Amino acid sequence: MSSILVILSVQDGRVKRSSLEALSRASALGKAEKREVIGVVLHSNALSLAIDAVHYGATKVFCVSNRIFDSHLNPPLIAGIASVVELVKPRLVVAASTESVKDIIGALAIRMDAAALPDVASFEISGDHVLCERPVMAAKMMASTQSSNPLVFVSLRSGSYEAIRSESETSCEIVEVPFEFDVSTLSATLREIVTTTGEAVDLTEAKVVVAAGRGVKDATGKALIDELASITGAAIGASRAVVETGLFPATAQIGQTGKVVSPELYFAIGISGAIQHVAGMSNSRIIVAINKDADAPIFDVATYGLVGDCFKILPILNAELKKILS
Amino acid sequence: MEEKFDVIIVGGGIAGLSAAMTLARGNAKILLIERGTFCGAKNVSGGVLWGNDLAKLVPEYWNEEGGFERFVNHRRLTFMDEQSAFSVDFKSSHFDDVPYTGVTVLRAIFDEWLAGKVQLAIEASAYPDESFLATDILVDEVLSENGKIVGIRAGEERFFADSVILAEGVNNLLTRQIGLEKEYVPVDHMAIGIKEVLRLDKAKLEDRFQLRGRSGLTNEFVGFCSDGVEGGGFLYTNRDSISLGLVLGLKDLKQSGKTPYDILNTFKAHPSVADMIYGSETVEYSAHAVSTGDIRSLPSELYADGVLIAGEAAHLLLNAGKAIQGMDFAMRSGILAGETVLEAKKANDFSSEMLKNYRLALENSYVLKDMRTFQDAVHLLHQPEMFGPIPNMICDFGRQFFSISGEPTPKASKMMHAAIKRNASYWDLVKLGIKGARAL
Amino acid sequence: MNFCVCIKQVPDVQASVQTGRMVLNAYDASAVEEALVINANNADSIDLILIGPSSATETIRKALAMGATNATHIVVDEIAALDSFAVSNLLAAHLKGHKYDVILTGKQSQDSDAGLAGGMLAELLGLPFATNAVGMRAVENILEVTRQGDTGQEMLEMITPCLVTCSNDMNNPRIPSLKGIMGAKRTVITTTQGAPGITRTVVTRTFPPSAREAGIKFEGEPEEIVALLLDKLQAEAGVL
Ligand SMILES: Cc1cc2nc3c(=O)[nH]c(=O)nc-3n(C[C@H](O)[C@H](O)[C@H](O)COP(=O)(O)OP(=O)(O)OC[C@H]3O[C@@H](n4cnc5c(N)ncnc54)[C@H](O)[C@@H]3O)c2cc1C
Ligand SMILES: Cc1cc2nc3c(=O)[nH]c(=O)nc-3n(C[C@H](O)[C@H](O)[C@H](O)COP(=O)(O)OP(=O)(O)OC[C@H]3O[C@@H](n4cnc5c(N)ncnc54)[C@H](O)[C@@H]3O)c2cc1C
Ligand SMILES: Nc1ncnc2c1ncn2[C@@H]1O[C@H](COP(=O)(O)O)[C@@H](O)[C@H]1O
Repeated sequence: MSSILVILSVQDGRVKRSSLEALSRASALGKAEKREVIGVVLHSNALSLAIDAVHYGATKVFCVSNRIFDSHLNPPLIAGIASVVELVKPRLVVAASTESVKDIIGALAIRMDAAALPDVASFEISGDHVLCERPVMAAKMMASTQSSNPLVFVSLRSGSYEAIRSESETSCEIVEVPFEFDVSTLSATLREIVTTTGEAVDLTEAKVVVAAGRGVKDATGKALIDELASITGAAIGASRAVVETGLFPATAQIGQTGKVVSPELYFAIGISGAIQHVAGMSNSRIIVAINKDADAPIFDVATYGLVGDCFKILPILNAELKKILS
Repeated sequence: MEEKFDVIIVGGGIAGLSAAMTLARGNAKILLIERGTFCGAKNVSGGVLWGNDLAKLVPEYWNEEGGFERFVNHRRLTFMDEQSAFSVDFKSSHFDDVPYTGVTVLRAIFDEWLAGKVQLAIEASAYPDESFLATDILVDEVLSENGKIVGIRAGEERFFADSVILAEGVNNLLTRQIGLEKEYVPVDHMAIGIKEVLRLDKAKLEDRFQLRGRSGLTNEFVGFCSDGVEGGGFLYTNRDSISLGLVLGLKDLKQSGKTPYDILNTFKAHPSVADMIYGSETVEYSAHAVSTGDIRSLPSELYADGVLIAGEAAHLLLNAGKAIQGMDFAMRSGILAGETVLEAKKANDFSSEMLKNYRLALENSYVLKDMRTFQDAVHLLHQPEMFGPIPNMICDFGRQFFSISGEPTPKASKMMHAAIKRNASYWDLVKLGIKGARAL
Repeated sequence: MNFCVCIKQVPDVQASVQTGRMVLNAYDASAVEEALVINANNADSIDLILIGPSSATETIRKALAMGATNATHIVVDEIAALDSFAVSNLLAAHLKGHKYDVILTGKQSQDSDAGLAGGMLAELLGLPFATNAVGMRAVENILEVTRQGDTGQEMLEMITPCLVTCSNDMNNPRIPSLKGIMGAKRTVITTTQGAPGITRTVVTRTFPPSAREAGIKFEGEPEEIVALLLDKLQAEAGVL
């Protein structure tokens, strides 16, 4: 039976956890369906990264090494993945739903005559069909969606499955795929990437997220957020409203427009809980909300809600947490 | 050259839309301006639209899927004390006949539906491309020249018309701006209405309230529901939700120091209410000012050169205990304002002398007639006895009357006597009774 | 720049009561706004294209009222049955006969949250593209695009013709003025009947997500409620 191909995204010199979640899910499916599960890494240093995949169920990893992948440009990425898909002829291509994947999945589907199921919360293969469930209407509803197309691309929301590492030595074949890209064909050039500095923890992978909303008003509030994040080892997120004020970077935005996160613990501080925000965080295991408005909709999704002024509550919370965690 | 309209209508609530419908049918060139992103967006008030004017605006509206929620064939008035509820309940298949005499509405749905009907009327009129329903625009100012109203300003834009209808609702800043009403409304002329929409599975709702098809229940409450504050409560059934709320006198509320939200929660926790709403989910909460329906609160006049005031902007509303009638008053006054402008257009005379016909028409209609007739009833309803002693007394009587305790049972008159003694003095009651008999 | 902006009519996901009201996709409103800003000082055109039922003209008028020049309405009865693949094919069939400097779409539809049509359309038309743009500037025949990437903002220089999908973080769409609303009503919308769409995915069922368990709300003095929270986090939640 044709295989399942998993695209392994790389960030900060390692395969992203969300990609390993996708790989784990794919290998579970592969076992049940007797399908081979193959990983692919596209990176200037693909060979050294491929090893990560070995412990998550891939029996083969294709490495497409080229410097061009160091700067994010979609034509080479599309061409690179397309060449591996041509080679492998998989039933299903799975990737974590990162910005880079969202960028190319539509174009790739057209180029490869495939169907695309983006941003799914779960997926499986059933007979001729690939089935998935995905949130729609800003996550107010779920939609069971399916495709019987012979080739299907799926992008998976982070946190939907667990990344299961196995220590046993399985044999895994690492295959280098030659890839040339003619730069002169590029009609878009990347001038620079403005990376947000000092992002200690990747938001989409974080175990704890401290998210600030418009209630966090000013630099004093931001300092309290930074402190809570550093005490708890959290990544910092933000609502759209507070990003607009310039207090937090756009990369921190969580929600329908921003990122989807699913940490163990999520602090929503001074966030009202608009559906577009909740769409990006409602999968968090435990949600703590601090809001001075007892009727704020965020309390509808919060596991624990504290009604009160965050400027009064955070100093105490930070101090207490420091005691507990040190 | 700026284009000129026959009439500019400020406000796309029920009064404004009713005027617009009348005017579009009469082939006037109209501009209706609503500040909400759509008609009904800002309008969370409302409950039951009484009367049958809707059938005149939208014939056979009952055959349509959209628009109203349920028609009323079951009415209930409940007196409550802390633990009990004593109801007068009336249900009649008589109410099943069309045109209905009352329909429940959710304004965000109803107003937009009505706006759609107005749009159709515009398209069928002589000015399909020159009449507009414009939303998401706030009218900042009414423009006048030589003492006559000539148009409006919205932001930087100015538009002109032979006449302007102000249908801006209870927060009537423009009506005050042109001097027809004093800048500050006396606090005892105002009440606050708060309302929640509680979603309930349709089958459950119909089962719980014994509803068939689109039939519905209205329930008004007096007594414990307002926690001692002047006012009352209501519960109306919609298609798959319940509208539940309170109307509270602003002056009394301020003096009590209570918050409307807390009072609403007390009301919701009352056993008789809790039993009706359990398992439902609050999907909307809103608060809105509402006139008390006191005829003394009417603006100094309802028209001037080039301008007419319709609906609650003119404080046209009746709250005489049976129900709040604001929407039907808004509808009728909107229709009459529209008709007056059509006459004025025919005569090409938009002076106050001509527009006076609007006032006359209102005086001859149920709108001002009822407001005058029930003026005393409105006052009666504001007596403090109405919110404590009397409902308590009724419930006290009910408790005695309906209890069978294994002791010798006194006669009902004796029970009544005991209830009165415990809850109100005879003399107060007699006074109130005389007043009441006169008022109704 | 001559723009074509693809706009979609979607249900109002924000309405508290399910009104069935339809609105302009917020991301598309940002796309229209950005085109208007770039063309503020020239006479280049901004054409709109929408696939949807005939009642969707209302949404086209709204976008025209913002200041767009022309509009094409491809009428289909059941827009909900079309997936991004079908939509982008219908759009491509129409756009093949036209020449634009820049085609704009929204980053995603607010109802389906798919985010596919832009990339699909670009590939069908053979155009370079960028998705999730948060900023845009035109310099002669170059379009400078800032997009939100995984780790930061990426600045691209794109040679036109090209396609860009827009985030609502790009701008705040203007509210049409009365003059705009009046002008839009008089603009002639070109209407064509849409060919039946071929889809590759089907939605078989929609349902509410499993509700989160009701939480606990603490009210009181800061010290008190912080202590209660920490108790819970340590004892029950086991996250600390
Ligand atoms: C198409 C679209 C996409 C969107 N995408 C996103 C998205 O991805 N992410 C996102 O976040 N939003 C998104 N939004 C915006 C969203 O609708 C809300 O506007 C936004 O989330 C509001 O942010 P907020 O809760 O911080 O601000 P507000 O709604 O202003 O809420 C601030 C809250 O802080 C509380 N507060 C104030 N002071 C204090 C204090 N001292 N202590 C405690 N609490 C306090 C207030 O009670 C209030 O609840 C989107 C909107 C649209 C239309
Ligand atoms: C809680 C509550 C319950 C009620 N229950 C009932 C009931 O059961 N039955 C009943 O008949 N009545 C009821 N009423 C009263 C009823 O809702 C009002 O009397 C009625 O809505 C008045 O209609 P209107 O058209 O005059 O004003 P509104 O419905 O208030 O419409 C005015 C419109 O004008 C717009 N507007 C205002 N200013 C401007 C401006 N400057 N520029 C542009 N647009 C502007 C507003 O956005 C609004 O849409 C209730 C009221 C409340 C608050
Ligand atoms: N029916 C439609 N008519 C015109 N453009 C559309 C339509 N559907 C989607 N689009 C465009 O594609 C974008 C969203 O893509 P998607 O999320 O895949 O539906 C929208 O923001 C629009 O720009």
